[in-house]
Amino acid sequence: MPRLAPSLLRQARAIDVLLPPLLPACRDLRSAENELRWLKDHAIKTGRQCGLAHSDASLKRLVARRARGEPIQYILGTEYFGDLELKCQPGVLIPRQETAASVTHLAQQLSKKRKGRPSDLHILDLCSGSGCIPLLFHHEFYAQPGNEHCKLHMVGADISVQALELARRNQKSQIAAQSKRVTAQTTSLAAMRFLHADVLLSEAANAIHAPIGVVEALQQLTNTRPTPAYEVLISNPPYISSQAFRTTTARSVRNFEPKLALVPDNPSSAPSALDGDVFYPRLLALADQLRTEIILFEVADIDQAQRVATLLARQSTWRTVEIWRDEPGATSDEADHVLLDGGESVPVRGAGNGRSVFAYRGAAAAWLQ
Amino acid sequence: MWRKIWTLSLRTRGVQAEHPRLFTTTPGKPEKALPPRPKILETEIDESFLRGSGPGGQKINKTSSAVQIKHLPTGIVVKSQETRSRESNRKLARNLLAEKLDQIEKGEGSRMAIKGARATKKKASAGKKARRKYRKLEEEKGVKGRVEGVGSGGDGMSSAVSGDTGASYTGGGGGEVGPATGAG
Ligand SMILES: C[S@@+](CC[C@H](N)C(=O)[O-])C[C@H]1O[C@@H](n2cnc3c(N)ncnc32)[C@H](O)[C@@H]1O
Repeated sequence: MPRLAPSLLRQARAIDVLLPPLLPACRDLRSAENELRWLKDHAIKTGRQCGLAHSDASLKRLVARRARGEPIQYILGTEYFGDLELKCQPGVLIPRQETAASVTHLAQQLSKKRKGRPSDLHILDLCSGSGCIPLLFHHEFYAQPGNEHCKLHMVGADISVQALELARRNQKSQIAAQSKRVTAQTTSLAAMRFLHADVLLSEAANAIHAPIGVVEALQQLTNTRPTPAYEVLISNPPYISSQAFRTTTARSVRNFEPKLALVPDNPSSAPSALDGDVFYPRLLALADQLRTEIILFEVADIDQAQRVATLLARQSTWRTVEIWRDEPGATSDEADHVLLDGGESVPVRGAGNGRSVFAYRGAAAAWLQ
Repeated sequence: MWRKIWTLSLRTRGVQAEHPRLFTTTPGKPEKALPPRPKILETEIDESFLRGSGPGGQKINKTSSAVQIKHLPTGIVVKSQETRSRESNRKLARNLLAEKLDQIEKGEGSRMAIKGARATKKKASAGKKARRKYRKLEEEKGVKGRVEGVGSGGDGMSSAVSGDTGASYTGGGGGEVGPATGAG
């Protein structure tokens, strides 16, 4: 990391003595000023709850935490995810803007054509963390005209109990923000469930102890056999390779966010540049078991996107496979397709880094195309 | 440090510039509504989100809420990174652009000019009111009389003004932070 210029530090100090300690974490003065303002607001807000006299001391404490590199979202306790302000807490991954952009785009794609679309949609989010994906999908889906009568049945699943608790708290505050009128929208939000399950556990392993496998957890939830169908499967699984964790992952992420959420725990001997791919074959096996027709998986970059697209191409059931960039709805002059090793051409949509893989098959092809 | 990495020229979902809020500070004495902000057409602007270069997704956790919009007919560039919410920044940037365009178009008759003039007038009248109140209190010591509630000056107004000017202008990519003088 380049050293900060002494003139910049002097300039910062002249504005506020609390700015220089923030500069290393924020990098530029403008961001440091913004963050200091947010920290001040937070200190005043929390100070008001326990006597104003302490807000000065508590501001210094907040600044010191930020100066050590702690993400501001953990300090303030929330992060904006699209339109939603969600709670954050150490031990659970902070939702990322790019994830919000993909989820919003997916909700729009599923709303383009309603003819032939089932009136009930079952949506499963694996590795749900803070619950951000189903909560934003719900919000964006009902923001589209013509969806008010469609019922969403949404389930999230995670291995971390801490994450599940946070997701349920986030769900509660979204419920509190809804209108009291009973609609498909409010019913769907209230019915959203977060389950304790291990995505990597295959049926054969049949665990006796929690967490159980995904299919088993879903069966317990709905009390039905055979396994219920989930038309849509979304996942932002841990996808950083052990190598990339050491080299290209920001220090603040490494030091403060849970490694369980970032790097797949993989005891096998896969080469360390590729051991970030562990979840994808497992997610695809689940997609088959759950008769999924639409998938959206987040990935680290265009290379991983291509590897996942190759897995999909090999399955040959997927009618359409696309790679989405950070901002899938935007126009750009970047390459609009990539060629897979097998020679298949995959369209790449939007602008920014390769960010997710989207695919559909079966009946969904009729109403998505 | 900031690199513009993409541009949204075709928006799938527009953001409406917020309807002008009215800040009436003295109840019972309604203020004439400000002229409306000019409407910003989504087709006339180029919006971009600013974020750091390098990998994104799980590998970094930057709050990248900055929004920059360019008004294509005039070339005016406005940027907002005032709030932590990108959606609010999008609205703020549009409001800011609307004010700018209005100022250019109408000069003295613009919303900002009217607001500014009102704020000055209010300050003056707040001073007058305070003096009047003081005099009244003095009188009351002798004579018993009715005391009218006196509205507190232009507090609401100043917050409205600072709320609107919070985001920064950039005149086509110039430095946005004024250098602090006399440091050291
Ligand atoms: C990258 S985070 C995604 C969280 C959230 N969906 C988001 O987008 O912010 C990955 C999540 O997967 C969970 N996880 C890790 N291993 C898992 C496993 N074997 N089964 C289920 N969840 C797992 C972690 O606890 C973490 O919450």
